[in-house]
Amino acid sequence: EEKYTTSISKGLTSARAAEILARDGPNALTPPKSTPEIIKFLKQMVGGFSILLWVGALLCWIAFGIQTAQGVASAFDNLYLGVVLALVVILTGIFAYYQEAKSTNIMASFSKMIPQQALVIRDGEKKEVPAEQLVVGDMVEIKGGDRIPADIRLIFAQGCKVDNSSLTGESEPQSRSCDFTHENPLETKNIAFYSTTCLEGTATGMVINTGDHTIIGRIASLASGVGNEKTPIAIEIEHFVHIVAGVAVSIGVLFFIIAVSMKYKVLDSIIFLIGIIVANVPEGLLATVTVSLSLTAKRMAKKNCLVKNLEAVETLGSTSIICSDKTGTLTQNRMTVAHLWFDDQIYSADTSEEQTTQSFDQSSQSWAALSKIVTLCNRAEFKPGQENVPIMKRVVVGDASETALLKFAEVILGDVMGIRKRNRKLAEIPFNSTNKFQLSIHETEDPNDKRFLLVMKGAPERILERCSTIMINGEEQPLDRERAEAFQTAYMELGGLGERVLGFCHLYLPEDEFPDTYPFDTDSMNFPTSNLCFVGLLSMIDPPRSTVPDAVSKCRSAGIKVIMVTGDHPITAKAIAKSVGIISANSETVEDIAKRLNIPVEQVNKQDARAAVINGMELKDMTTEQLDEILINHSEIVFARTSPQQKLIIVEGCQRQDAVVAVTGDGVNDSPALKKADIGIAMGIAGSDAAKNAADMILLDDNFASIVTGVEEGRLIFDNLKKTIAYTLTKNIAELCPFLIYIIASIPLPIGTITILFIDLGTDIIPSVALAYEKAESDIMNRRPRHKKKDRLVNEQLAVYSYLQIGILQSVGAFLAYFTVYAEQGWLPNTLLGLRVNWEDDYYNDIEDSYGQEWTRYQRTYLQWSGYTAFFVSITIQQVADLIIRKTRRNSIFQQGLLRNKVIWVGIFSQIAIALILCYGLGSVTALNFTPLRVQYWFVAMPYAILIWVYDEIRKLFIRQYPGSWWDKNMYY
Amino acid sequence: MAALNEKKTCSQRMENFNRFVWNPDTGQLMGRTLINWVWISLYYVAFYIVMTGLFSLAIYSLMRTINPYTPDYQDRLKSPGVTLRPDVYGEGGLEIYYNVSDKNSWEKYVTTLHKFLSAYNTTAQHANINCTSEKYFFQHSFLGPNKTKYSCKFTSDMLENCSGLANSTFGFPEGKPCLIIKMNRIINFLPGNGTAPRVSCTAQHDDFSPLELQYYPVNGTFNLHYFPYYGKKAQPTYSNPLVAVKFLNITRNAEVTVVCRVIGTGITSDNPHDPYEGKVEFKMKIQD
Repeated sequence: EEKYTTSISKGLTSARAAEILARDGPNALTPPKSTPEIIKFLKQMVGGFSILLWVGALLCWIAFGIQTAQGVASAFDNLYLGVVLALVVILTGIFAYYQEAKSTNIMASFSKMIPQQALVIRDGEKKEVPAEQLVVGDMVEIKGGDRIPADIRLIFAQGCKVDNSSLTGESEPQSRSCDFTHENPLETKNIAFYSTTCLEGTATGMVINTGDHTIIGRIASLASGVGNEKTPIAIEIEHFVHIVAGVAVSIGVLFFIIAVSMKYKVLDSIIFLIGIIVANVPEGLLATVTVSLSLTAKRMAKKNCLVKNLEAVETLGSTSIICSDKTGTLTQNRMTVAHLWFDDQIYSADTSEEQTTQSFDQSSQSWAALSKIVTLCNRAEFKPGQENVPIMKRVVVGDASETALLKFAEVILGDVMGIRKRNRKLAEIPFNSTNKFQLSIHETEDPNDKRFLLVMKGAPERILERCSTIMINGEEQPLDRERAEAFQTAYMELGGLGERVLGFCHLYLPEDEFPDTYPFDTDSMNFPTSNLCFVGLLSMIDPPRSTVPDAVSKCRSAGIKVIMVTGDHPITAKAIAKSVGIISANSETVEDIAKRLNIPVEQVNKQDARAAVINGMELKDMTTEQLDEILINHSEIVFARTSPQQKLIIVEGCQRQDAVVAVTGDGVNDSPALKKADIGIAMGIAGSDAAKNAADMILLDDNFASIVTGVEEGRLIFDNLKKTIAYTLTKNIAELCPFLIYIIASIPLPIGTITILFIDLGTDIIPSVALAYEKAESDIMNRRPRHKKKDRLVNEQLAVYSYLQIGILQSVGAFLAYFTVYAEQGWLPNTLLGLRVNWEDDYYNDIEDSYGQEWTRYQRTYLQWSGYTAFFVSITIQQVADLIIRKTRRNSIFQQGLLRNKVIWVGIFSQIAIALILCYGLGSVTALNFTPLRVQYWFVAMPYAILIWVYDEIRKLFIRQYPGSWWDKNMYY
Repeated sequence: MAALNEKKTCSQRMENFNRFVWNPDTGQLMGRTLINWVWISLYYVAFYIVMTGLFSLAIYSLMRTINPYTPDYQDRLKSPGVTLRPDVYGEGGLEIYYNVSDKNSWEKYVTTLHKFLSAYNTTAQHANINCTSEKYFFQHSFLGPNKTKYSCKFTSDMLENCSGLANSTFGFPEGKPCLIIKMNRIINFLPGNGTAPRVSCTAQHDDFSPLELQYYPVNGTFNLHYFPYYGKKAQPTYSNPLVAVKFLNITRNAEVTVVCRVIGTGITSDNPHDPYEGKVEFKMKIQD
């Protein structure tokens, strides 16, 4: 104690405390350095395609500047276009920023846990000081209900129990005393941790760590030290942005050079460059992706998966390993009676969530005796006023095992409280760790029987020691060696199932020795506690949730490895793992093989064992290579007795195998692992705030099965995003070709930049979102998770097929409409070639068309806008076909059904409605460059739309007919 | 995801790229084997040939539906544009700026006019017929040579003093320049509804003395027998009728903005977007 220059009775002096405070800093967690909001905002402004569009806008303004200096009349077009482009960037930036701002800061909940005041002894007096001012060496007093202000070594404790759930996730109260019981500070009983709660009792202790040095502080810094990894979908989108930006820049630069070398003015070439950039960038796509993801997130929320980080929606779909917690996730987080042993026989009890009756044989007299002990020797009680609540859901005051027993009794016997009332309790010795039993003495409900009943339960071996007889079929028989062995076998068997076993015994106290008025005194124990009659064993377990085994097998067929990581005992962990199928029925661990073959563990070929149960202690001594070896060689792995740091190591180990790792957890201790995981899943009911903050997703019902639904949705959205992107990319070519042909063939511009923006941000938005509602083409839960590096969102096939096949088809269709409009108005295709310079000459007001008519500049411009509109309408019409073909990637559209996704039709109608409004409603607004179009021009591209559909059906047919063929490899995206 | 976040060094990137270009293990060139490249190229060649074929077919059938004499629609040609000769543009549009005493300053205008009128000399117009009627010259059948329709003669001497024949300088040195107004051709367009459309020029800001003008032909009319126009194929030798305007009293050393309108039913000159529809606006400044 002198080490901290303090005194147990007087505490520190104020001066010394101030000194240490100055040295160590306040007792508070340092918040992580947060990026200023404005920086985050600006980051959104330059991310993705934004930078390209900024360049476009800037070029527009430069062109505007130069043109105004030259006095060109149309210069303002460039100004407007620049403003529109900037607006597009800013709006999508704000949208993305808003999405990101929703994700909350992990540190926020840690700071909430800091207690406000602490009672310390300083200068020999008790004082209330703010907890931030605590220093190492301070003597602190705590009582039930307090939050512990720092890491404290207890010097004096009375009945002190703490709830470490914020630290370990296990909510069972743990007693604290001043005995040093374990070398590991986390396990020893004389240390209470910062931020945990003292449930009952009082204690005095000395502060040994403050602020960031506390255990929780270390975990917090571990959690914030773990960087936010990019989600797989973020990487995919980045990859896609790179592809598109690469295409845009290279085509832009290439044609800039071509334009300049074709003796175009540099200014004109710059304007071409803007057009190429705008045509190439799918302006609305990133917003569409966000909307699609949030739609899926909403759908998942309905299925109890609350997604905090939108991108996590897809991450779940690409998950290849799930590291699951045991308690609460795989199990019901509720002790339940699983087995009984009486009359030399083991009975199993129903452990499902909704049990209302128990079906084992209840006719035996032994059971009657046992049930009486279970009912009476129990301090747990239902909270009043829950008569209408199902028994399993009632709230109980009492510890986990007693609760289990109470509910078990209530289910079978009914009205436990009434039975207890009729068998009045006279004396009681509660369970304590030295005795390891609990005892109570009751009157019997039979008014003729004046004997008292002594009932006892506790650790089976201790109970057995106190017994001389055993009840078999309701009759007391001497407890001979043979009976004792039968007991041992049963005890071992139940223990081997990972269950917590309790022994029960009773004794009717003889009436003559213990008359009505006998004063029972629990301190002096003036009643017999040995030579009792052993009645039976009950074993309890936190049983698996009934939906879990099914969910685990679904994961398995979906190629996802489920690893159990728990702080629990290896035997219990293994038993639960077996019962939920994480370790399948016929696989063995190395130890099992050794046992079966009767050889030492070292001789077993590790490759033979599919399953592995690894203890935290073994893990501690393992090198990274050894861990990798285990993760690779065994398909069914259970980690038991693991610490938070080890959980992190396991997650990192999985990630080294290139796996996308999902981690579930609920305690503060899990938050580093949750953060490190590709997707952290916190429990909504049992989870601590820190875990929820660190996680990307919250399971509202704490149920593992919900994860599987999440995986399914995640995979579906990946497929559907592929479709969305393919849909969107296609028309980029139809927007780009006009510029390229305009430059090379010098024809009047077929489509304007503003018009392109109307496609990208107008007609195309709703249809591309509609693809997110598309149903899966096949059972997506029967294929392996996508490989993070090989199965890209935008792969070569997708880009090539969209750009070079469907895109080109679309361009051809749109060009046909363009040529038709011009030809029918007097400009035949051959006249158009090479016409550009004269066409765009403001001073040439009598250009002859193919028929000898003469046109002013404005008449030509107006015709040019009709051309834009025709081109626009044709793209829209063909995009309808594109939308329909993108519904499926492999199946025929008839297999998928045209009507199953109704949103698609909303998309199609909206697309056409917007086009109609733009064409006929806004056709008179000159700034928009639309003109009312003759009705027949809407149908020019129709044959090409049909051609697109037929071509794609043929493509899909061959893909289905010849899987693995050259066609399949090159045409399936 | 640690692996993905590893920063690759430049040399690694280069190595990866080289491996992509030529992978000796699998014999892959840019991600494909040579034979694979051949196949994919063949496929695309075939695909594009079919595409081109389809497009050509479509354009061919489009051309088949097109009437060679008149366009299907004249949606944008409701009213003819009007242009000025000489057409010399400066900062603010059409500008006739010159100095009477400086021959170089007006010579370009004169040359432009001579060049323009060369299409109207007797030799150039000899294929056309003389028309005397004051009515529209409707021709329902192809009576002209080579299945064409007749066009009426318009010769430069019809512009009398502004023909450039008697006064080869078009009055520029005298400060009384001749300018020529031309109306754009529109097929089957019948201007004036039976009355010959005429040109009328006014100064936009009448702070100077009103313009004194002389129009040629008299009254500045476009004779109706030049209309309707039947198109290039039917009337290959057709030439637009012209009206010359001689400005007699332009204030010296001052900029005068002049608007010349063609007045007649069916000819609008109030389109706010199109400054050349039915009218032409220009600036004049004659210096001493």
